[in-house]
Amino acid sequence: MRLPTIALLCATLALSVACATSDVVDLQPGERPALETDEAGLWMYMEEVEHNLSTSGSIVKAPALNQYVRGIVCRLAPDHCPNMRIYVVQTPHFNASMAPNGYMQVWTGLILRAQNEAQLAYVLGHEIGHFLRRHSLQLWRDARAKSDFLAFFTLGAAAAGVGYVGNLAQLAALASIFVFSRENEREADDVGFRLMAKAGYDPFEAPKIWQALIEERDAVEDEDEAPPIFFATHPTTEERVATLQRLAEQFAVGRAAGVRRQAEILAATAPHRPAWLRGLLRIRNFERNSVVIAHLLENAANVGEIHFFQGEMHRLRGDKDKEDSESAAAAYDKAISLGGAPSEVHRSLGQVYWRMGQSAKAREAFERYLSAEPDAHDRAMIEAQIARMRKGS
Amino acid sequence: MIGARHNVCVGYVNRRSLSIAACAALLLLALSACTITKVHQSTGTMEAPPSDARVLLLPPNVQLFELAASGLLEPKAAWTETAKVNVQAALDSQLQEKNLSIVRYEPPQEDTPDAHTFQQMEKLHEAVGQSILIHKYSGETIALPTKKDTFDWTLGPDVRILARDSGASYALFVYMRDSFSSGGRVALQLMAALIGVGLPGGQQLGFASLVDLHTGDVVWFNRLVSTVGDLRKDESAHAAVENLLSEIPL
Repeated sequence: MRLPTIALLCATLALSVACATSDVVDLQPGERPALETDEAGLWMYMEEVEHNLSTSGSIVKAPALNQYVRGIVCRLAPDHCPNMRIYVVQTPHFNASMAPNGYMQVWTGLILRAQNEAQLAYVLGHEIGHFLRRHSLQLWRDARAKSDFLAFFTLGAAAAGVGYVGNLAQLAALASIFVFSRENEREADDVGFRLMAKAGYDPFEAPKIWQALIEERDAVEDEDEAPPIFFATHPTTEERVATLQRLAEQFAVGRAAGVRRQAEILAATAPHRPAWLRGLLRIRNFERNSVVIAHLLENAANVGEIHFFQGEMHRLRGDKDKEDSESAAAAYDKAISLGGAPSEVHRSLGQVYWRMGQSAKAREAFERYLSAEPDAHDRAMIEAQIARMRKGS
Repeated sequence: MIGARHNVCVGYVNRRSLSIAACAALLLLALSACTITKVHQSTGTMEAPPSDARVLLLPPNVQLFELAASGLLEPKAAWTETAKVNVQAALDSQLQEKNLSIVRYEPPQEDTPDAHTFQQMEKLHEAVGQSILIHKYSGETIALPTKKDTFDWTLGPDVRILARDSGASYALFVYMRDSFSSGGRVALQLMAALIGVGLPGGQQLGFASLVDLHTGDVVWFNRLVSTVGDLRKDESAHAAVENLLSEIPL
């Protein structure tokens, strides 16, 4: 069966050569593609997608937060900033994305995990890199060229009666499309780093956000099988950390230290953090959430509030033995003594004491909740619970 | 490399069978041209609209694509602009022929509360349209049995907001998608036909709904599927819109 082997080798060679050259130049500020181009088609399509997203219920409209994120983007790329629209999307997962027409999504799960403004700036810079280097367009052209080639190749192979080779060629084609995508990601990492470092941020903060994600990933024991690296659209996280660390060391030579602006991000996110943490806890991934909470505690801002959510994390896991209830109670106690936690901390404390069979303490906690929250929407329910406890045990 | 593949392909087909196959290919392509429309009307009673009924015509939602050899659909901005103009013109002239008073809906400025509502209505109409396509046009395997003998979709009374001060009693929504085979796709179709495989070419899909602006009910709905036609051309767009508006109760 020499023919299929040769054919496959030729296919892989052709595919690898196809992505070597790229005639796409950087996007200029205010540039719009000419109407007849494929790029204009992508912009048109993404405008419709953006149009629909902009009225989605998941968009966070809070003006101060939006101004804050936009402010960072404009500091990184002042010339391009007027042509980018930034949408903050409410979801506890870590992600940001950039469309070719300049619409950027930043998920609140990402903002929550950034320990300082420098880390957030790096990720935003990465997305700006995709926009400036027109990666979506490159990826589209590459995918189109390769899949067209593949269509002909598969048909030709099928006509010659060697159908199975088509599958191998498809594999090779898919892999090469993803390689191109990984190159794009490396380039965006590079651009993001440069934008962030040149804007005066501490370059050593860039790899730290990926390190935090590695920690989260490693904390989970029985994670769903991650996609094989062969197909990963991003370089491995470890590779990214190593690259950014090296870039930071090179950049820092002979330069003054950059800024982190931790206070600024904490101030901007403070009003939203309770809602974001509630969302995070809903996912019920205890191992991942522990890592996020641990990092938030390190930041040492509004620690009482974070301890409340740490307690909630244990309470929601609700193991049958006492361990989680005890950990939760300890966390709630800390939250109460430090202050800054919402008044629900007393109710939650009541619930875990009740679970541990300590009804007197549970009753006290519920009563503290009701006095702290006179207009509690669940007053009737809690009062009924207290009455039941007085009667029962 | 490419030359080598073609040799491999042709090497297995002698000259006589090549000409037969070529005829078969042409036949395959010719027979595949067809246009289908199917109208549904609300199962509730619909009063005949008054003779001075005003129809609010929403901006047609049109997008055109090029169908690549692999089946990828590449959005085309210039084609879409041309098609939008043609479809709008066809709608205007055909509705005017019915002696209807047409009001063209002007979308409000971005970032105003009205703009938000309009966008939500657009999205709602698309969702309702997709639902109708699933339950009324996709066969019994995926349609809900409760929808089998009824046609009772509605956008809800909030659609009244679209009417504003236009005095319109109906709104007409039009949604069209069209795609055209690239040179590579046509070549692939021919090659495929030679070995007895039928590959589809570009397709035109559209739907239109007439909505009662007092209740929000969808009183008339039509779906168009066609393998011929070109919205970039004036006459062809006119024919497509004519098909789309067939049996509209106005």
